Amino acid sequence: MNSDLVIGMAGAGGDGVVSAGESLMAAAAAMGYHAILTKSFGPQIRGGESSCRLRLSTGPVLNPGAPLDVAVALNWDDFLRFGAELPVGGRTLVLYESASGVAPDHLPLAGVVPAEALPVPVGALAREAAGTEKAKNTVVLGLLAGWLGLPPEAILDGVRRKLARKGAEVLAGSERAFAAGLAYAGAHPTRETRHLAPLARGTAAKLLADGNEMCAAAAIFAGCEFFGGYPITPSTEIMQALARDLWRYGGTVLQAEDEIAGLGAVVGASFAGKKAMTATSGPGMSLKTEMLGLATIAELPLVCVNVQRGGPSTGIPTKSEQSDLFQAVFSAHGDVVRPVLAPTSVADTFVVTVEAFNIAEQYQTPVVVLSDQEIAQRKETVDPIDTSRLTVVERLRPTAGELEDYARFRLTDDGISPISHPGMPGGNYLAAGIEHNEQGAPTASGEMHARMNEKRLRKLDPLKERADLFEVEGPADAPLGLVAWGSLAGTAREARRRAAAEGLRVKLLVPRLLYPVSEAAYDGFFRSVQRGLVVEQSHQGQLFRLLRMFVDVPRGVERLCRSGANPVRPDEVLGRLRQMAMALQRVREAELQPQE
Amino acid sequence: MSTSPAAFKATAFRSELKPIWCPGCGDFGVVQAIYRALAAIGRPPHEIAFVSGIGCSSRIPGYTTAYGFNTVHGRALPIAQGIKLASPELLVLVAGGDGDGFSIGGGHVPHAVRRNVDLTYIVMDNQIYGLTKGQLSPTSPRGRESVTSPYGSIEDPVNPLLYVLAYGAGFVAQGTPADMSGLADVIEQAIRFPGFAFVNVQSPCVTFGQAEAQLRTHKAEMKKLADLGHDPSDRLAAMARAQEYGRALHTGVFFRDPTPRPTYDAAVSERRAAMASAAPSRRQVLDRFRPKLAG
Repeated sequence: MNSDLVIGMAGAGGDGVVSAGESLMAAAAAMGYHAILTKSFGPQIRGGESSCRLRLSTGPVLNPGAPLDVAVALNWDDFLRFGAELPVGGRTLVLYESASGVAPDHLPLAGVVPAEALPVPVGALAREAAGTEKAKNTVVLGLLAGWLGLPPEAILDGVRRKLARKGAEVLAGSERAFAAGLAYAGAHPTRETRHLAPLARGTAAKLLADGNEMCAAAAIFAGCEFFGGYPITPSTEIMQALARDLWRYGGTVLQAEDEIAGLGAVVGASFAGKKAMTATSGPGMSLKTEMLGLATIAELPLVCVNVQRGGPSTGIPTKSEQSDLFQAVFSAHGDVVRPVLAPTSVADTFVVTVEAFNIAEQYQTPVVVLSDQEIAQRKETVDPIDTSRLTVVERLRPTAGELEDYARFRLTDDGISPISHPGMPGGNYLAAGIEHNEQGAPTASGEMHARMNEKRLRKLDPLKERADLFEVEGPADAPLGLVAWGSLAGTAREARRRAAAEGLRVKLLVPRLLYPVSEAAYDGFFRSVQRGLVVEQSHQGQLFRLLRMFVDVPRGVERLCRSGANPVRPDEVLGRLRQMAMALQRVREAELQPQE
Repeated sequence: MSTSPAAFKATAFRSELKPIWCPGCGDFGVVQAIYRALAAIGRPPHEIAFVSGIGCSSRIPGYTTAYGFNTVHGRALPIAQGIKLASPELLVLVAGGDGDGFSIGGGHVPHAVRRNVDLTYIVMDNQIYGLTKGQLSPTSPRGRESVTSPYGSIEDPVNPLLYVLAYGAGFVAQGTPADMSGLADVIEQAIRFPGFAFVNVQSPCVTFGQAEAQLRTHKAEMKKLADLGHDPSDRLAAMARAQEYGRALHTGVFFRDPTPRPTYDAAVSERRAAMASAAPSRRQVLDRFRPKLAG
């Protein structure tokens, strides 16, 4: 029995491996398993190779997992194109299309001998059962149901739902294909069991979502009334979900003519008094920079989601990277502090996006949410979220008294000035990208400029005290420390737990708030740390460098980072932690040696 | 919407800010014409949003008592559309110069027009960059000498009237502060037009503009389209007249669509009303992620 299984599948575009992964996951979620599904495609618009990786577990899953327990290669050329994304190891069961003619002891895998290799006539079984190779993925589902010991009915239910519109004939063919796969698995047991451990009776079904859908749902929850944007991979699903749903809640979605206009319309909607959001990826962020500056000086709340992909420029649009942190933090002319938040999982995307709206509204500022392709496009099971514990913040409106002598940019103690909007009698003012006095009148006074800059920065200071935006796990006095953000937080969490299970004293800090940098949060964390790692998916290690700008990072803290499309794995982090623990041990022993 | 003419005098729309414009600038006349038009319309200042870009003329919202937004260069139209779509009940005016609208922001104009958002877009066209002190603009004539074209411009200007007519706008007019009542009248008509309305104002730059393109010459040379027997319901006739941009100064309405297209903002309001009638609670939004299997 296995409590945790990672299944990787690859095939040609029409083979439907992603669809098979989705069916398997829907069944698992309904049963109450925890799961993460990541999809990966070749660069072709249609067709080309596609793959998915599904991790199923009886307990919470923190990252997509590696290496694979089960690998499915419908086509070796396609499988091999995914390289490190579908890592085969010494414990992997490889099942592959026998028509490929590859002998089980001559798999085209470099430097690795998997535990077991099973050639299966997938195409032949599909043709025989359903009369078409299109049913290959359903044969695979049958095989996996058999070899993983999953209830066939739960999986078939999903298949039926998916094919409902294709007619009775297709449906019947698929059911036969599934049965053929199941029977084949029954007749060919694996050497080592790959059965997934059953769940306790009465385990509740999980929610199923990807990060982009979750982001859109969070926007609705937070009261978003306007979305303006421009299609860009891998963030487009946020706009698509809102284009479908936001109208129902009385909101509006505008597909603008370009990235600039998308955020421009959002700035306008916010000026008009509505909660508003845009979503984009790196190239769009580059174009939106000026508009973000306008929102900063005009003190207009808005949320700008950047689903990061490989950069610079067009980079690798379909793969994850964490290389837009510098851009999120520094892409502004003038003295600007713009809050930047990052979610660490699909479920976290909900909470962090709601928080982004709250911070935007409370402090009258644009807020950047740095998601990444990994979180945004992977499907995850989500435990029910208790939304009654989440608050929704509204911007501070002027009182009737304040409107009598209204000054939009009044220099208040906390730097937050009540904000009116068109339609509100007595609140009339001039908003502007130009520096202004308290009433909003343009000014070139150095003294007023300094006071307004001070106000716009000071109002954000309380954010740095938000301990709830920093998650720490592990013993407070641990000498080993990990810092990770975004999708890499899950990798670091798993590495830390495995290290702790080995007896290493290690703790982990996961910041949701990346900027402004909370010196207090990091100083407190680093106090006990002698060795450590900042784990990131960028070539430079952008958080590591940002921290060194604001915080006294202990000298023993290093970067573990590399470019995207090549995920950092938990075992790599664990390996480095072991080395660091050994180095600490040597230092301690040396200190204990009597001095000559 | 309260529209009671005579409810507001023109002075009710004048703010206390003193314009930074040079004495004799055409934009003084434009802002006066806007005060008059708004008084005729009768909406209170707080129901008006006045959006601009960057340039001398883009200072104009601050000189009114409306809610103003002096935004960034070339982006007034997208921001104004966001305002109008968020709050369709507002009266939204947009203003800027020829550089703002037809150079750096030129890409936004066709989209505002094709969406037909109910905005009034007033361009103060002076054929020069004034705020940055005298550089070539997109409407500067070929041969124009300026600090960035010291040997004369070797490119042809855009034709704002012809562009906007070709984009499909339902209302296109031109005015000059040399004819204040005519200018106030076309601005008022533009505001009243249900849909995107464009007014090109020949607003001379007294400091960097050409001597032959000042209010005096406008007064002497302008030809009212109404006096020429022009039929404003004929888009092709309007385009023929618009071809003369830069050679002759025509004032009045080039085109007013006799059967205006539906506006984007009206469609937004209708859709919101229709779809929000079955509005689920925002707090239940996560329900959509429940797996649809029996399990």
